[in-house]
Amino acid sequence: MRALIVDDEIHSRDELEALLLETGEFTILGKCSNALEALQAMKRERPDALFLDVQMPVINGFELLGMIDESLMPNVVFVTAYDEYALKAFEENTLDYLLKPVEKGRLAKTVRKLRRALNAGEKPVYSSQDIKKIPCVLSSRIKLISTAEVDYVRSNEAGVYVVCPTGEYFTDLTLKVLENKTNLVRCHKQYLVNIDRIDEIILHENMLAEIKTKSGRTIPVSRRHLKELRGKWNF
Amino acid sequence: MELLFRLIQAMSVFLVIAYLYCKSPWFRPLTTHSLRTRDRIYLYFFFSAVSILGTYLGIAIQDAIANTRAIGPVLAGIIGGPLLGTAVGLTGGLHRYSLGGFTAFSCGLSTTVEGMIGGLVHLYLKRTNKTDLVFDPKVAFTTTFFAEMIQMAIILIVSRPYLDALALVKVIAIPMILSSSLGTALFVSIGRDQKNMYERVAAISSAKAFKIAERTLNFLGSGINQKTAVDLAKIIHEETGVGAVAITDRDKVMAFIGHGSDHHTPGSSIVSSLTKAAIAENKVIFADGERERYICPLSATCPLNSVLVVPLHIDNDVIGTIKLYEPRNKQFLNMNKMLGEGITNLLSNQLLLSRYERQKNLLVQTELKLLQAQVNPHFLFNSLNTIISITRNNAMRARELLIHLSNFFRKNLKRGNDLSTLEEELDQVNSYLQIEKARFDDRLVIQMDIDPALLKLKIPTFTLQPLIENAIKHGISNMLGQGIAKISAYRNDGHALIEIEDNAGAFREADAGDGLGIKIVDKRIKALFGKDFGTAVYSVPDELTRVTIKIPLEGHVQ
Repeated sequence: MRALIVDDEIHSRDELEALLLETGEFTILGKCSNALEALQAMKRERPDALFLDVQMPVINGFELLGMIDESLMPNVVFVTAYDEYALKAFEENTLDYLLKPVEKGRLAKTVRKLRRALNAGEKPVYSSQDIKKIPCVLSSRIKLISTAEVDYVRSNEAGVYVVCPTGEYFTDLTLKVLENKTNLVRCHKQYLVNIDRIDEIILHENMLAEIKTKSGRTIPVSRRHLKELRGKWNF
Repeated sequence: MELLFRLIQAMSVFLVIAYLYCKSPWFRPLTTHSLRTRDRIYLYFFFSAVSILGTYLGIAIQDAIANTRAIGPVLAGIIGGPLLGTAVGLTGGLHRYSLGGFTAFSCGLSTTVEGMIGGLVHLYLKRTNKTDLVFDPKVAFTTTFFAEMIQMAIILIVSRPYLDALALVKVIAIPMILSSSLGTALFVSIGRDQKNMYERVAAISSAKAFKIAERTLNFLGSGINQKTAVDLAKIIHEETGVGAVAITDRDKVMAFIGHGSDHHTPGSSIVSSLTKAAIAENKVIFADGERERYICPLSATCPLNSVLVVPLHIDNDVIGTIKLYEPRNKQFLNMNKMLGEGITNLLSNQLLLSRYERQKNLLVQTELKLLQAQVNPHFLFNSLNTIISITRNNAMRARELLIHLSNFFRKNLKRGNDLSTLEEELDQVNSYLQIEKARFDDRLVIQMDIDPALLKLKIPTFTLQPLIENAIKHGISNMLGQGIAKISAYRNDGHALIEIEDNAGAFREADAGDGLGIKIVDKRIKALFGKDFGTAVYSVPDELTRVTIKIPLEGHVQ
């Protein structure tokens, strides 16, 4: 099985890697120390299994789960040092959870579960929480942008950009995830818009339209999505 | 000579009056320094009566009266001032004038003048700040002596025929001067004794009250229990000298000292209806032994006859009583009644205060315990997991960390004391940081800058640990980049400053109230060193949080 380990503590990553390798069942695709590294690695490596630490800086394990694109969703095993998170992990409907320090016997059980799920060949679907803050990558740090501040989100070949009054920021989240997990609304194949930030909608002939946001930017509305917007807004 | 004796005889009547007067409540105002108008009016009537009585008790001689009328006006003057002296003199004089005789006018006039002379002496004493001499018999004697001489002179000058007046003065001068002067002096002497007695009683009761207060206040810190109750009862018994003292709680006798202790035994239930009433109604109950008697419900031969029951209360809750008893053959002194009530009230206040203090301390202690307890489980888990992992590759390193972990918890347990040295605090903090450093690896950088002269500085135990933990747990552990924790201690402007800084800048004012422990640290420092010391937080969001601890330097740096 192709596994990815996500934990902010180096010794936890090393320990888990050693344990997984001992079982002889895993190829370790990588070890990530935070959520952003994990999102990138998942896009790149498309793992079968994700061993995810709950307690991490800035974006914790539960939040990360909500940011993973459904098409890339691996089988997720939560790893936590604290019992109190275990219940919550079940609510999130994960495959399994492990308590640190991880026991070999317990891990073997998890391996059997994973094997079974992979053999069944179903894409795992986990209910997860909405995204309140979108992690964006700046040159040296990570900026969290509250969804309420966002004007719109656009995507092109290079990636996905969050646009807000202060500027444009690159994010590793996909449009699909943002559409599902935030209150941003699709208005074009490549655009999501924040309804609360719309200043006006300019209607053109042949069922095309443009949206002007409160910070004065203009984005296109496609024919298909104009209908949906109309349905939502009754105009 | 016979005249002198008869005048002295008449004068003796005044001494009886003086004695009675001094025992009466009307005398009391004279023992204070300021006389009110009402007091002056009383004095006017009293001394006018004395003066007129002096005339009546006189002896008729040659159509005149040898008398001790002067005593009233002179005393009124000395005690009450010129106005009162003159008024009394005029009253006595007019009365004498109305009786007629060839000296009627001269005697009337001279009595008024004598009152004035007394008044002038009063003024003189007041001006020269010698008011304590008002009750000096020598002053009274001299003043009356002089005033009576003036009277004789006035009789000689004013009365006609002159020869009759001269003959009269020859007979009455010496007896009148001597007897009046002596009378005034003795009158004043009686007054002075009474006045001194009042003052002595006041001084004794104040001294007693202070002594009891001083002896009792110290050991009430822990509230009233069996032992403190006995000590307290002993002290009150010794200091007041009453027959017996008892202390009860709401249900039973806690201590009993003095007469009747053979059958009033500590630990027995309260049986006295007076005590029950005092507790139920939260009021002072007094059975003086005459109008109302204390009847011992336990023993027919109990010598106790009068009792004062004062409730001891905290806020409005009666928690017990203090009882003072006197036996049948002794009167319950008013002084002891006042002392009993005063001391009980004082103790009630003291109990309230000590309860408040105790609760305050308890609260801080509890908060501290909570803080200590809160930390450890998570820290312990994290540490063990780190060490488990390190054991795989580096057993020696793992061993070092286990020693640090052990040191950290030992210090946490051991420190029951209020104060520790900065060195001790840093030792524990260092163990903690070594483990966290291993856990976070290069995500945590520790910088220390400690003035070595401050290592012996005394600070409240468990001051640094919670603040460092905040910096790591709520700050650096939530950072994606490299976290820097700085600890510095230096001297500045006569005090010591200890700073704990992180570059996470996660501090938010709203969080500081609960769980961060900064407030408890601040509270404890202020409680120990005063409000000028404590913690201050400086924070720039996402850049830094710096907690500065200010501690006094004096006497702590070695």
